[in-house]
Amino acid sequence: MSEIAVKPGRHREATLYHALAGEGAGDGRTLEEMRAAALAAFEREDLPVWRRSGFWTTSFADLDLDALQARTHPADVGVPDLVTQTLPDRPRAGRIVQREGTVVQVELDPELTERGVILCSLEDAAHEHPDLFARWYSKRLTIDRHKLEAANAAFWTGGAFLYVPDGLVVDDPFEIVYTIDGPGVAQYGRTLVVGGRMSDFKVHEHDLADDFGEEAVAGSDVDSTPRQSLHAGAFELYLQDGARCRLAQVQDWGTGEVHDCSTRFVCVGRDAYCHWLPALLGGHLVRHHCELSVSEPGGDMAFRGLFFTQGHEQLDVFAVDLHETGPSGGDVHWRGAATGESRASFEGLIKIDPGAQKTHTYLQAHTMVLSPKARLDAIPSVLVSADDVSASHGGTVGELDESSIFYMQSRGLDRAAAVKVIVEGFFEPTIGELADEPLQGLVREKIASKLAAARDDIEAYATAR
Amino acid sequence: MADLEIKNLHVRTEDREILRGVDLNISRGEIHALMGPNGSGKSTLANTLLGHPSYEVTEGEIFFKGENITESEPHERAKAGLFLAFQYPVAIPGVSVANFLRMAINAKREEPIGVKEFREHLKHAVELLDVDRAFTSRHLNDGFSGGEKKRAEILQMAMLSPDVAILDETDSGLDIDALRTVAEGVQKLHDEQGLGALIITHYQRILHYVKPQFVHILMDGRIVLEGGVELVERLEREGYDQIRQEHGVGV
Repeated sequence: MSEIAVKPGRHREATLYHALAGEGAGDGRTLEEMRAAALAAFEREDLPVWRRSGFWTTSFADLDLDALQARTHPADVGVPDLVTQTLPDRPRAGRIVQREGTVVQVELDPELTERGVILCSLEDAAHEHPDLFARWYSKRLTIDRHKLEAANAAFWTGGAFLYVPDGLVVDDPFEIVYTIDGPGVAQYGRTLVVGGRMSDFKVHEHDLADDFGEEAVAGSDVDSTPRQSLHAGAFELYLQDGARCRLAQVQDWGTGEVHDCSTRFVCVGRDAYCHWLPALLGGHLVRHHCELSVSEPGGDMAFRGLFFTQGHEQLDVFAVDLHETGPSGGDVHWRGAATGESRASFEGLIKIDPGAQKTHTYLQAHTMVLSPKARLDAIPSVLVSADDVSASHGGTVGELDESSIFYMQSRGLDRAAAVKVIVEGFFEPTIGELADEPLQGLVREKIASKLAAARDDIEAYATAR
Repeated sequence: MADLEIKNLHVRTEDREILRGVDLNISRGEIHALMGPNGSGKSTLANTLLGHPSYEVTEGEIFFKGENITESEPHERAKAGLFLAFQYPVAIPGVSVANFLRMAINAKREEPIGVKEFREHLKHAVELLDVDRAFTSRHLNDGFSGGEKKRAEILQMAMLSPDVAILDETDSGLDIDALRTVAEGVQKLHDEQGLGALIITHYQRILHYVKPQFVHILMDGRIVLEGGVELVERLEREGYDQIRQEHGVGV
C-alpha cells in the first residue's frame, strides 16, 4: 500500500490517495522482480474499496477471485466472432487482439514494419525488444496500490506493445482489442504504447465481452457456476518530444457481470499533444483511473470522455489532469448519462505541481440523469501548487428538459424519440471529437441501443414527475 | 363542422384558473387572429391545444377533425395535423434543422421520405421563407437570433404542412423585415396549401401582412368580442381599455 495516510472524509487526503502522480515502478528492476513485488502486494491487500464520503462507495469486495481463472487459449484459436461482428470493417494500420489471456491476432501493415513500427504482444516485446521494454515498461504506472492493480502486474499474460518510431506519421488507427468470452474469467490486460519524437498516430482500444447476462447463465447450476468475470487492466502511453496521438477507447462489456478495474496513464512529453477519449459504455462494476500527465514544457492535451450506465451497472471514473511542468495546456471535458437503477460517479481532478508555471487548464463535466432510480454524481477538484497558472472547472447536472420534449412532441415525435434526440444531442459534441466516421458510427449505435433498452425507465421518469 | 372545435374550454395551471370557458372554431383555409392584453390566457390556449402537460383541462373539450383530442398526447395531435409555432422555441443542440425536419416528417409517415423528395421539399420551403440554405445545417435554434428562431418555426410549419397552425406571438421580437417574411410565409402557405391559422398576437402590425377573416379578443380567460378585420382597426384606435369597460372585464 502507498505510504499516504488516509483520513476518511478529508477531501484532500482522499484525493491524493486516489492520484497516481506517476510514481512508476520501473526503477531499474527486472520484469521478474516487479512481478514478485506485485505478487507480494496482491497477497497482502484486500480487494479495493473507494469511498467518497457522502457521495459513493465503489467496492470490489463481492468479487469472488477464487472462482475466476486466468484462462488462456491456443494461439490459433482465432478472433472471436464478437470482434468481427462489432467492430467496423475499416482501414487500419494494424491490430492486436487479446482473447481472455491470450493474444490471438497480430496484424501490421508490412510497410509499417519496414519503417520501424513494432506491434506485438507485450510478452514478446519483453524478449524481442528488451531495451525498449526496460526503458518504458511501468515507467509511470504503479503496481501495488491495490490488490487488482497488483494482480495485473503480477499475472498479466499476452498484452499489447506498440512502438511508433521518430518522425513517422500514420493515418489509419492501430487497434488494440481485449475480449472476454464468458463468465469465470480473469483477464489481466496490459498495454504499453510509445510514440517516438515527432511521430503522429492514432490508437483505438476496444474492450468487448459476449453478453452473458441472466439468460446465458440460466439453466445451469446457479450456485456452482461463476457469474462474474474480471478485466483488471493497465494501460500506459508515452509521447516523446513533439509526438501527437489521438487515443480513443471504447469499452462495452455487455450484460454479463464483468468487473473492470483499470488504470490508464498517458504521459505527454515536450511539445507533444494527446487527444484522449475514453467512452465507457457498459460493465457491471467499473472503476477506471484515467490519468493524463503533461510532464514536460510545451505539452498540450485534450482529454474528452463519455459514459452511459444502465440497468444495475455501477461506474466510478477518476480522471486526473496532471501538470508536472509548465508552460502546459489542458482541456478536460466529460459527458455522462445514467438510466435504469445504475450508479455513476465521476471525479475530475486538476493537479498542478510546484513549478508548473504558465499552465492553463479547464475541466468540465456534464451529466444527465434519465431515470428516477439512477444516481449520478460529479465532483471536480483542483489542487494547485504554482502561482502563475489558470485552472478552473465547471459543469452541469441535467435532467430531461420537459420543455424540449414538448417542443419535439408538438412536431410529431413521441416521447421516446424526443428523449433519444436530446441524449444523442447531449453526447454529440464529444462523439464529434472522435473525428473518425466508423468509430463515431459505433459509439452512436451503442448509445442508441442502450437508449432503446432503457425505454421503459425513461417512460417511468415521465410518470414519476 | 369546423376542423378545430374548442368548446367551453376551462384550463388551470398549478396555482390558478386561466381559461374560463373559451369557444372557438377554426377550419382549413381560414385565418383567425386572437388578440388580447398580457395575461389574458393567449399562450395558455396555444399550449393547451397541443397538450402541454403543465396545463390541466378542467372542463370543456377540444375536437380535431371530429375526434376528441382533449386527452391526446402532444405527438398524436401533431400527427393529426395540428401545429404550434412557439413563442419561445427551444434549442435542440446536436441536431441540425434538416435532420430534425426529416425526423418530424418521418414521424407522420409509414415509409421514410426519400432523399430526393425531402431535398426538393426543403428547397421550396427555404425559398418561401427567404432563408440561407446553410441555415438548415445549423443545430436547431442553438445560438439562433430571435428572428432566426421564428423563421425556423415557420420553416418547420411549411415542411410539415399542418391543417391548422397556431402561431403564438410569432411576431414578437421581430424587426420589420423579418416580420414581413414570416407573415408573407404564413399567407403563402394559406394560399398554396389551404392552411388554417390561429395567429396569436397583442400587436396589430403582423395583421398588416396577413389578412385575418376572423378576429377574436381574449380577456381574462374568455373571448369577449369577435368580428372581422375591422376589430383590429378599432383596437388600434381605442386600445383594450375601452373594450374592457364595455364588457365589464375586471382589470
